[in-house]
Amino acid sequence: MSDPKIDGFELKPGFRGMASDTGSDQTMFKGVHWGKAMMWIFLLSDTFVFSCFLIAYMKGRGSTPVEWPNPSEVFALEAFGVPVPLLLIALMTFVLITSSGTMALAVKYGYEKNRKMCGWLVLATAVGGLTFVGMQAYEWSKLIHEGVRPWENPFGAAQFGSFFFMITGFHGTHVSIGVIFLFIYAYKVFAGHYENGGKRGWFTTMKGDYVEIEILGLYWHFVDLVWVFIFAFFYLW
Amino acid sequence: MHAGIIFFLVILGSILFHIFTPWYWTDIASNWKGMDDTITLTFWVGGGVFVAVCLFMIYCVFKYSYKEDRKAEYKPEDKKLEKILTVATTLGVAALLAPGLIIWNQYVNVPKNSIEIDVMAWQWGWQYRLPGNDGKLGTTKVVNINDDNPFGINLDDPFGRDDVMVQSDIINLENNRPVKILLRSVDVLHNWYVPQFRAKMDAVPGVVTYYWFEPNKVGEYEVLCAEYCGVGHYAMRGGVEVQDPNSYQEWLGEQETFSDLLAKQNKEIETKKVAKNNSNIEKVIYKEEK
Amino acid sequence: MSDEYENKSGYQAQSSEALTGSAGSTPDMDYVRPAELPEQDLYHGHTFLTKWVFCQDAKVIGVQYFLTAVFTGIVGLILSWLMRLQLGFPGLAGFITAEHYYQFVTMHGMIMVVYFLTALFLGGFGNYLIPLMVGARDMVFPYVNMLSFWMFFVAVAILMASFFVPGGPTGAGWTLYPPQTILEGTPGSGMGILLMLISLALFVIGFTMGGLNYMITVLQARTRGMTLMRMPLTVWGIFTATVLAMLAFPALLVSAIMMTLDKVIGTSFFMPTILKAGEVLEYGGGSPILFQHLFWFFGHPEVYIVALPAFGIVSDLISVHARKNIFGYRMMVWAIVGIGALSFFVWAHHMYVSGMNPWFGFFFATTTLIIAVPTAMKVYNWILTLWRGNIRINTVMLWCLGFIVTFVNGGITGIFLGNVSVDVPLSDTYFVVAHFHMVMGIAPVMVIMGAVYHWFPLITGRLLNETLGKWHFWATFLGAYSIYFPMHYLGFIGVPRRYYEMYDSPYMTSAVGMNEFISLAAFLVGAAQFILIFNIIKTLKTGKPAPKNPWKANSLEWHTSTQPPEHGNFGERLPVVHRWPYDFSVPGAKDDFIPQTTPPSEVVHTKVEKT
Ligand code: HEM
Ligand SMILES: [Cu+2]
Ligand SMILES: [Cu+2]
Repeated sequence: MSDPKIDGFELKPGFRGMASDTGSDQTMFKGVHWGKAMMWIFLLSDTFVFSCFLIAYMKGRGSTPVEWPNPSEVFALEAFGVPVPLLLIALMTFVLITSSGTMALAVKYGYEKNRKMCGWLVLATAVGGLTFVGMQAYEWSKLIHEGVRPWENPFGAAQFGSFFFMITGFHGTHVSIGVIFLFIYAYKVFAGHYENGGKRGWFTTMKGDYVEIEILGLYWHFVDLVWVFIFAFFYLW
Repeated sequence: MHAGIIFFLVILGSILFHIFTPWYWTDIASNWKGMDDTITLTFWVGGGVFVAVCLFMIYCVFKYSYKEDRKAEYKPEDKKLEKILTVATTLGVAALLAPGLIIWNQYVNVPKNSIEIDVMAWQWGWQYRLPGNDGKLGTTKVVNINDDNPFGINLDDPFGRDDVMVQSDIINLENNRPVKILLRSVDVLHNWYVPQFRAKMDAVPGVVTYYWFEPNKVGEYEVLCAEYCGVGHYAMRGGVEVQDPNSYQEWLGEQETFSDLLAKQNKEIETKKVAKNNSNIEKVIYKEEK
Repeated sequence: MSDEYENKSGYQAQSSEALTGSAGSTPDMDYVRPAELPEQDLYHGHTFLTKWVFCQDAKVIGVQYFLTAVFTGIVGLILSWLMRLQLGFPGLAGFITAEHYYQFVTMHGMIMVVYFLTALFLGGFGNYLIPLMVGARDMVFPYVNMLSFWMFFVAVAILMASFFVPGGPTGAGWTLYPPQTILEGTPGSGMGILLMLISLALFVIGFTMGGLNYMITVLQARTRGMTLMRMPLTVWGIFTATVLAMLAFPALLVSAIMMTLDKVIGTSFFMPTILKAGEVLEYGGGSPILFQHLFWFFGHPEVYIVALPAFGIVSDLISVHARKNIFGYRMMVWAIVGIGALSFFVWAHHMYVSGMNPWFGFFFATTTLIIAVPTAMKVYNWILTLWRGNIRINTVMLWCLGFIVTFVNGGITGIFLGNVSVDVPLSDTYFVVAHFHMVMGIAPVMVIMGAVYHWFPLITGRLLNETLGKWHFWATFLGAYSIYFPMHYLGFIGVPRRYYEMYDSPYMTSAVGMNEFISLAAFLVGAAQFILIFNIIKTLKTGKPAPKNPWKANSLEWHTSTQPPEHGNFGERLPVVHRWPYDFSVPGAKDDFIPQTTPPSEVVHTKVEKT
């Protein structure tokens, strides 16, 4: 968002300016919607959740007595009869990143109050997310088919399966929740809940606003970003 | 008023309790006197601060308790006083930290001439293993443990053959000889702790942890488990006997080594087979009677 | 449902005068920037269900949190009685077997730390006080706030249910160290531990919902003129504790998830190869120490989650009742924030003898002792606030003084335990038990009690009885002090903690008398709490109505439109803040207090220094 203009408040330059800006009355983040600030802080907390998972993974991987399996073999996919390492993962990553792009566009059209475009783009994002979840389900079933289980795995250390299923499962849950909300929000955009002052939500009784699309977008970009880390830690290491 | 008096009595009582308490450290029996000294130092500094703060508080209660016509002082900040207090506290804390770190440095650096002892813990008991003539302990594995190989020594490890096995919860130590305790657990966390030696460390399944001390007082001591390990935790005791070198050597000579045990087992295998057959026969008879 | 909004209590928008700030009659020196945000849109419940049960008013939610937490606290207290019964008079209550004892220890510890103190300070006081003190109509997300309480409620229900499942509640110690936690040989290693882990996970989720509310309300919903450096220290304490919780609970959540998987589907995150009863279990390759790191990355900030709100609240109570500004306000704020930040770098001081790489000891001992400095500064500032004050020695002040004594005592023993090599002989002994009860058991409870006496008139409109209050204080303080002061010496002689029975060793049996004494004192302290309950019941029935702002305090919660405050807190217009909340005994002022809402033009002739 561009610099919000707050009545009677001047942004002063320099460190002192920053301090007085931060400590000033009413709000710390000038012009930032409550919901947006909440999402940022929630994501900070969630970052700690994923960091704990990944740090536990590093420690676990470092201290198993049995050898860790080679990811580029385990995750290879047959394409036209040749095993291509990381093919599926590359596709999954591509789909997810693309959906981030459509999400960003949806936010833009939302602020322009372009109901149609915004709605279609949110829907496209939802479909992208769904594709991702589908591909992940395929990968899980493939690994399970090959005998990998959370408690054992034919390629090496049992912890490989444990961490893989736990962390990708946790991330997949995040994506699935996001997809559900994307569908709901797509409906709400098309139904015009964010226009003409906003319609009151069924649960929260608060008025709708296009900023909600941006808030959901923050979540969605975060889920993508986490995927990049998971990708790096599981598939490239 | 009475509030100030009661608080004063509490502080006075605390000091008197500390002076006259019959409950205090057991007599130290190892080289870790430095720990006791650091505690004493911390006690004086910390106790002094505690008493000073509380007395000042009590003084304020007496001096400044509510009067209709008095007005409290209005002074939001006193930079100078705050600075002095910060610096003084920092110095005090540093003075306490320094000896602590020095002793910790000794604690984690084991002397070269120390004898290694493998302390094996399980729910709920202890046993010990000493290196044999080669001065080295054989490697072990939890999965190797069975009746014939109570310590799980790897059979193909040559260092393991002459290891001295003490299958009792009491171990003897040589006086004035540093020992490195190698802790091993086959199930859950434990902690081999002798209050008189001051030192302790958890035994963690899956890894070998260690610490060292040098016993310096002949006598018998009790070993306590100091890390919660299930319902038997409070009863998980053992013993240490610190002996002078001669008696220690004598005791050591009486202990069985791993190869002794293996030899005995080989001899027994034949007789066991016979015994097993016999017992099978007995069982059959027993069944028939029923 | 929809028509409930039509009843827009007149304050849907502020009047134009308020929005443009300085207008006509008010002189320029009183200028406060106009409101940045439109009025908050509130949902006013009308049915019993929406008004008192699924209520969205932070004050009601606060009371709900408070009562639920107190209920768990009473359960924790009863468990402590049973434990003391066993330790002081072994065999007297035959039904307390070792299994039961360990279940009591575990449930007592977990309940007291998480479900009692954390929920009480953040959920209870946080909800009630934050919106009032920063001048907001309510929390920013009332609906989520309501969900937060009910999630907590379900977590408590599951926790309590674990008392009744086969095998009973978990007896793994509140630290839940694997592998022992989920193996046979530990009581409640079946259903009990599972319910505990589920309950903890729900608690974390519920707390996160509440925590987002507390943080955003403080950051983004303060009233006009309420700068960060004009917030009461109570708000600073609760806010910082919430930040810690948002960043520390993730580690608990992750370790609970991993442990649940180990238990239920047989993964081996924390489980190495294990030989039990002559058989090698299916586990292998995991790391028990990993759990300890995760747990204490949560666990250490957790103790500050309990301590920081207590610091904040006690600062306010001392200042109001000593009729003096808090000494070194800025130092106090920075100390709270600094302690909070540092608390993420000290967790392994709980693991000096855990078998982790011993070289960590140097780092963590240093960081731990560094924290002692800002903590000490806070203590100095409390007593310097008393100094040259005009101290009302009433019940509230007595609790504050009791807090100072117990907190300093526990803080000093913390320096013992933080200093690696000093910790070696003392860790896992009763010295530790005495230390943490003093510093995070008794001291925060003192503050809670003081806060109850202080804010009771605000919440109910009646003043608690002072005489009963003093009896309650002295019985609790003297009793608790005589439980925990001698207990340090049990640790010196070397008695390990979590011992069901202290028999055999001569130095342990020498303490039989002391144990009996401690147990008697514990019974007394527990019984003394009935004085408070009696006092509350009596006051609600026949107590004298409190005058408005009975303590002559400055902060906004006492300057609401009604007392107790209604939904929306401040009536027609939100207050405008002109100063910090500690302008007591200002030279030249008519009264000995100047409320935060008093504009400078009314006190030009006084020597106000800080605004
Ligand atoms: C008068 C009140 C209290 C009494 C008599 C009491 C008594 C006890 C006793 C006897 C133990 C077991 C010690 C052992 O066997 O090692 C214990 C443990 C514990 N208590 Fe309290 N307690 C009280 C209040 C509190 C409070 C307010 C807290 C809040 C922080 C608390 C937190 C704990 C914790 C964390 C443990 C450790 C549990 C464990 O070892 O797993 N207690 N308490
Ligand atoms: Cu044990
Ligand atoms: Cu800590």
